[in-house]
Amino acid sequence: MNTKVLVAGGLITVPLVVVLAIGFQHDPRQIDSPLVGKPAPGFALTPVDGGATVALTELRGKPVVINFWATWCVPCKQEHPALVQVARLFEDEVSFVGVVYQDEPAKIERWLGQYGSAYPTVVDEGSRAAIAYGVYGVPETFVVDAAGTIVHKYTGPVDPNDLVARLDQMVAR
Amino acid sequence: MNAELGFGLILVGLLCSVAGAFAGFAAGRTGSEEGWRWTRRLALGFSVAMLLANGVMEYALLTHDFSLKYVAQVGSLASPTYITIVSLWSSLEGSILFWGAVLAIYVIGALVANGTRNTDSMPYAVASWMVVAAFFCFLMAGPANPFWPGPDPVPSDGPGPNALLQNHYLMIVHPPTLYLGYVGMTIPFGLAVAALMRGTLGPGQLALLRTSLLVPWGFLTVGIVLGGWWAYEVLGWGGYWAWDPVENASLLPWLTATAALHAAMLPGRRGTMKGWTTTLVLATFLLTLLGTFMTRSGVFNSVHAFSQSDIGPTFLVFIAICLVWSIVLLALRVDRIEGEGRVTAAIGRESSFLLNNLLFVALTFTVLLGTVFPLLAEAIKGVKVSVGEPYFNRMAVPMGVAILFLMGVGPALPWGQPSAERVRTALIPPVVAAVVTVGVGTLFGVRTPWPVASLFGAGFAGWVTLAALLDIARSGTASRQLRRIGGYVIHGGIIVMIVAIAMSSAFRADEEIRLKTGETVEFAGYSLHYDGPDKVVEPHRQSLVARVSATKDGETVELRPALVSYPSMQQPIGSPDVHSTLTHDLYLSLMQQDPATSTAGIHAFHNPLVIWLWIGCGIAALGTLLTLTPAPRASPAVAPATETAAPAAT
Repeated sequence: MNTKVLVAGGLITVPLVVVLAIGFQHDPRQIDSPLVGKPAPGFALTPVDGGATVALTELRGKPVVINFWATWCVPCKQEHPALVQVARLFEDEVSFVGVVYQDEPAKIERWLGQYGSAYPTVVDEGSRAAIAYGVYGVPETFVVDAAGTIVHKYTGPVDPNDLVARLDQMVAR
Repeated sequence: MNAELGFGLILVGLLCSVAGAFAGFAAGRTGSEEGWRWTRRLALGFSVAMLLANGVMEYALLTHDFSLKYVAQVGSLASPTYITIVSLWSSLEGSILFWGAVLAIYVIGALVANGTRNTDSMPYAVASWMVVAAFFCFLMAGPANPFWPGPDPVPSDGPGPNALLQNHYLMIVHPPTLYLGYVGMTIPFGLAVAALMRGTLGPGQLALLRTSLLVPWGFLTVGIVLGGWWAYEVLGWGGYWAWDPVENASLLPWLTATAALHAAMLPGRRGTMKGWTTTLVLATFLLTLLGTFMTRSGVFNSVHAFSQSDIGPTFLVFIAICLVWSIVLLALRVDRIEGEGRVTAAIGRESSFLLNNLLFVALTFTVLLGTVFPLLAEAIKGVKVSVGEPYFNRMAVPMGVAILFLMGVGPALPWGQPSAERVRTALIPPVVAAVVTVGVGTLFGVRTPWPVASLFGAGFAGWVTLAALLDIARSGTASRQLRRIGGYVIHGGIIVMIVAIAMSSAFRADEEIRLKTGETVEFAGYSLHYDGPDKVVEPHRQSLVARVSATKDGETVELRPALVSYPSMQQPIGSPDVHSTLTHDLYLSLMQQDPATSTAGIHAFHNPLVIWLWIGCGIAALGTLLTLTPAPRASPAVAPATETAAPAAT
């Protein structure tokens, strides 16, 4: 038995395997938004069905869930029913806003007709809101507390259980 | 029907590989003829099952059998047929299935190439291949089953494969070439394990080891460069290499395999370095596993890590088992296979080989450290960091230049212990050539340290390589020395590639340009005229094109950089257009196009000598083919005859 080989081999490889194993516990795509903990950027956008402008300032006093999405985005279809369910669950305590990003009103209306809706959907003309929120890709969802501070960001489809737990806590407070 | 048939074939493959592994180890221990015969039969059984399973998947893809989950995931009625065919390796499950087919081809090839020789060590080698085969069959039977039944009801159409993979013809050849490189390293791994199990590494085994390393090495070389070429032609950032974790993952086994190929030349001549050669071969295989793991487990964030999946933990366990097995086996047996010879300390060809190996291994560790460092930092401090290009360039460029220089020093020096006088006369002409090359470079404006150093190395190594080829040609025995010629041709190709890399990265110019229809702008000696937008609609995609006329010295070419949208993608992807010449590339990448103001935002690059990177790779591939020609009788690689006699006494 050549112990030198054994020791050298162990010293090189064991840390490598340990580091790779730890690497599993992190999602490399999770990009923490620098906006968490900061005031939510304001916006005033027109709903897709016309009607009065929806402004973030008018929603103060209640937690707000802002969901950036688009009709051309596949994961958005996947998360949409869950969002609608959660929105109904917190109908009186939490406001939900869907912000559609780089899309056409006709397509949005068709999409909502097909997949249902439970809260206002606004059109982000010129992607101004998306830029203000640093949207990296859709879907992204921001949870804003009653004081107007961003408390959480979901990248990719929302985990409905996590969202419900989070909102429960915020509403109880 | 396809689901049951395919899954059945995978089970047959799993059964054959597990049984083959047991039979092989048993036959190796007992030396039983009957056992060895069964080992071969079972290995062939695995291979046939894998090839048939791949056939079933191709049939399912081509007939759009959306009842299979995999076909529903990557298939699309709108995809052209060639895209449908290559969808086999466009996603995780299919690529593992394809892995099985490649291993099958290698196993058959290796068994045929070996014929009836090495009966004492081959059972162990085949057994090791079957262990690897069994692992991949296990993945396919469990966590990554390609024949999983699809959604119910069966969808009428699918989204098609990942858009990035559909965007360029290179994507049809890059993944299989890389796979042929990766998977092929299983064969030398098995031979190295067999050498350690038996405690010997004889001339016959060494010859087989050399061939079995060279074949996948050639594919890996071409595969890596094709990947760079694809990135260059598709991703639109004007470069071909970004030190991305997955790119590094393909470079790591290439570095150790290159070191192993050079190390393997010493035992044939001197009876030395056998333990070191086996270590490098084992490391190469382990690094291919690591590379696959990096691409497929979702640990790293990368353009290539397109399939997040659950196979990561299983894979890591397999890597750990292989690591333990390799290290323990080495520790137990390395003293036994090491020959009596010693490497002399003198300035001869051996020392330059040793230095070459040292540099390759150092470079491997450098790249490995830079690749896993972000994970390390996150594990320890919980912060996300990126090591990025500066680290790699600072570390890799000096080592690369040193390796380039050694490519000249090694072949220039004779074997054994030459006199100082001989060393001097051998080195003076290439030094003169190097100085002349640097002089010519300065005339063309190459004046910064590292590019100058690389020109010096290239001039030096280039002279030695050409002189060696001329010597062979003059000796009139060229037809008997095809393998040696091949080695020098590979060196020539690599020198060309290194110069192309050095010059294109040092003297790249780029500029972001905004143009209205009809406007003209000057860039790097070209006048770029924006002729206006264009729109191309195909069944599976839509392209927004900017038509740009580039004029230089009275000659005009039209470039059509585009933004391509696929229904399955959120963002359109850039599709740059490149005008390649022997001295430089004009590379235009469309960033955005605004129909309202009829302006286009274009990122323009002027990249010198890039075409020589692809040409150099072609030369290296040609050289690899030459090194694989059958050895003439009494070739030094197989039977170290007269040449060894004298220095071995030292």
